[in-house]
Amino acid sequence: MPAIAVAAVVGVLFFLGYRYYSVYLADRIYGLDPAFVTPAHQFSDGVDFVPTNKHVVFGHHFTSVAGAAPIVGPAIAVFWGWGPALAWIVLGTIFAAGVHDFGSLAVSLRHRAKNIGTIAHDVISKRARTLFLLIIFFLLTLVNAVFAVVIATLFVANPGAVIPIVVEIPIAIFIGQYIYRTRTAALVPSLIGVLALYLLIWVGQQVPIDLAPVAEVFGIEARTLWVILLFAYTFVASRLPVWLLLQPRDYINSHQLFIALGVIGLGMLVGWNTIVAPVVNDVPAGSPSIFPFLFITIACGAISGFHSLVSSGTTAKQVDKETDARYIGYMGAVGEGSLATGAVLAATAGVVATRADWDALYPDFATASGGAVGNFVNGVGVFANNLGVPLDLAVIFAAVVVISFAATTMDTGVRLQRYIVQEIAEIAGWHKLARNLTLAGVVAVAVPLAMALIPGGGDAGYTFGVLWRLFGTTNQLTAGLALTVIAVWILRMKRNPIPAVVPLVFLLTMTTWALFSQFWDFVQAETWSERWVLAPLDAIIFVLAIWLIVEAVMALRGGAGRRTYDEMGSPVGDDTRTPTS
Amino acid sequence: MSVNVVLVRPWTDAHGGTGCCSGDAPDGICLEGRVDGPREHDAEVGLVAETYLRLRAELPDVDVQIVGVNNTAYLLPTVFRAVRRRRGTMAALRELNRATTAGSVLVDGERVGDVTELGPARVVEEVRGRARPLAG
Repeated sequence: MPAIAVAAVVGVLFFLGYRYYSVYLADRIYGLDPAFVTPAHQFSDGVDFVPTNKHVVFGHHFTSVAGAAPIVGPAIAVFWGWGPALAWIVLGTIFAAGVHDFGSLAVSLRHRAKNIGTIAHDVISKRARTLFLLIIFFLLTLVNAVFAVVIATLFVANPGAVIPIVVEIPIAIFIGQYIYRTRTAALVPSLIGVLALYLLIWVGQQVPIDLAPVAEVFGIEARTLWVILLFAYTFVASRLPVWLLLQPRDYINSHQLFIALGVIGLGMLVGWNTIVAPVVNDVPAGSPSIFPFLFITIACGAISGFHSLVSSGTTAKQVDKETDARYIGYMGAVGEGSLATGAVLAATAGVVATRADWDALYPDFATASGGAVGNFVNGVGVFANNLGVPLDLAVIFAAVVVISFAATTMDTGVRLQRYIVQEIAEIAGWHKLARNLTLAGVVAVAVPLAMALIPGGGDAGYTFGVLWRLFGTTNQLTAGLALTVIAVWILRMKRNPIPAVVPLVFLLTMTTWALFSQFWDFVQAETWSERWVLAPLDAIIFVLAIWLIVEAVMALRGGAGRRTYDEMGSPVGDDTRTPTS
Repeated sequence: MSVNVVLVRPWTDAHGGTGCCSGDAPDGICLEGRVDGPREHDAEVGLVAETYLRLRAELPDVDVQIVGVNNTAYLLPTVFRAVRRRRGTMAALRELNRATTAGSVLVDGERVGDVTELGPARVVEEVRGRARPLAG
């Protein structure tokens, strides 16, 4: 089947979801009211609280939620066949992510733009705030660990990508300084930055950087050395002002996002690549089962709890009319689902021409996990090749795009992790850790570094696959917490909570099932890393999942009805602004 | 009156981070407000805020937006469409680039100056002057 036809069908389904289901949610479940005075108007200060055109807010929201993560999960999950992967992406986007992203925004708007963690404290229990911080801590730990492994693996597989990625850092700083000091326009310099990056792809191809000889001196693998270097870099980068490195590099990367999306779409159309992977793959015995593992392997792209942090943070402070939340929240979920669809198609139609070639890339789950990002990169390379770019350059181009986004993810991830460390330290009374940025930064880097270096990775990427699944569970738990908050709020509004409760129950079932199943595998494993690192980590996340289920059941049974609401759906007696304002 | 004003955020008012799971989420994470960004202490951020609030107060019918330089999905198509209608494609392309100058004041897609150089009072007068003929 032509990949472009599948993309068109998915596009139609997403359109129907937005056209009908999101309207149902807006009118009947969230009760959006165009006359409601949003926090942006209520607290308008021109800095954080700014009533803003919905297209402006969507532009910001979409770039905050769409990136590298929805690429990796789908590229692994096609191991079970493209049918189940795509079905979960489509159904998850329409009935879970749409409800979650849109709902987080709607609830935050009715709670003076407070974030989900703070609202959970208000509507579920005081303990929910601690639970929120712990879940996010593990989410960010695993995000940083898996993306370090992704980048390191791509650097080893594509040594031609090293020079463009490394040189992009001083280029971005130079462009940022130039724009800042001369107060000049940003567009042309940033486009020059993109051109320089692509010129460096050619340089990188001529001068590939292989760290294997250096790593050998230290008696470690090249990938291990890359992981260490990456965390050393992110420790420094996360201490720099956002505007110095992150903003100019993000700006250059944002051009790359549009270029890459164009290349994927046009390349698919021009090449008319057909999907060679099976609809449902007959996986070898001993592989992880489709239930529950598909549903935690694809988190971002089907439903991602991280979106609730963006919806209820910056976005909620800018919404002009409450009815705009449908477009911003639901379409943000659809945008990420579209990226995930592109990843599925790149890994099933772009990467190879025959079924036998595909089977060689996905013979077992470990190989599928370890090679997933490389498969996506090669698939996009083929799409770019359809447009006339030489294949070897096209593959490096795709690798540069993915690494750029993954590197940005790490930069920001380590920075966010430092905030979480400070928050947890403050609650625990460890004031020295809470107020010492360097110390908090060391903790933020050391924990994911240790995770990324767990032995057993090798070429098969076994540890990466496991870490990715654990990351998926923490992301789904974050979504579960947000859906609990949404469901409780809907109940208190005396509306039908089913649209939030169904994805909540499904996610918590899949998550706890997967954690329980993995735990026994780890305990019975032969390697010390599985028994003494992954098993305890799995157990801790399992405890958090059970804790969340208990909180959700108690809250949904009305046990946490401390807060009363006015007829507009806002909590009564709370005139405080959000704590971050 | 159908004047659209866009205030482009200062370069130091950066909202870094792209993508799941690393987007612009400090406000969604920090419960106690320990966000170590420059926003609260940046004079230019305050100036844009003051300009915005004065425009809203003195010219309530004018559409005012604050947009980040990096909001390509909104900024570029909006400026291009607005300017091309009146001055053609080449002018629209030139204006497209100018619009991405941090701290800019854009009126109907055209850059009329810089918030820091003009100051809130002059921005209000500039916008009022452009809005008057339309209202009349």
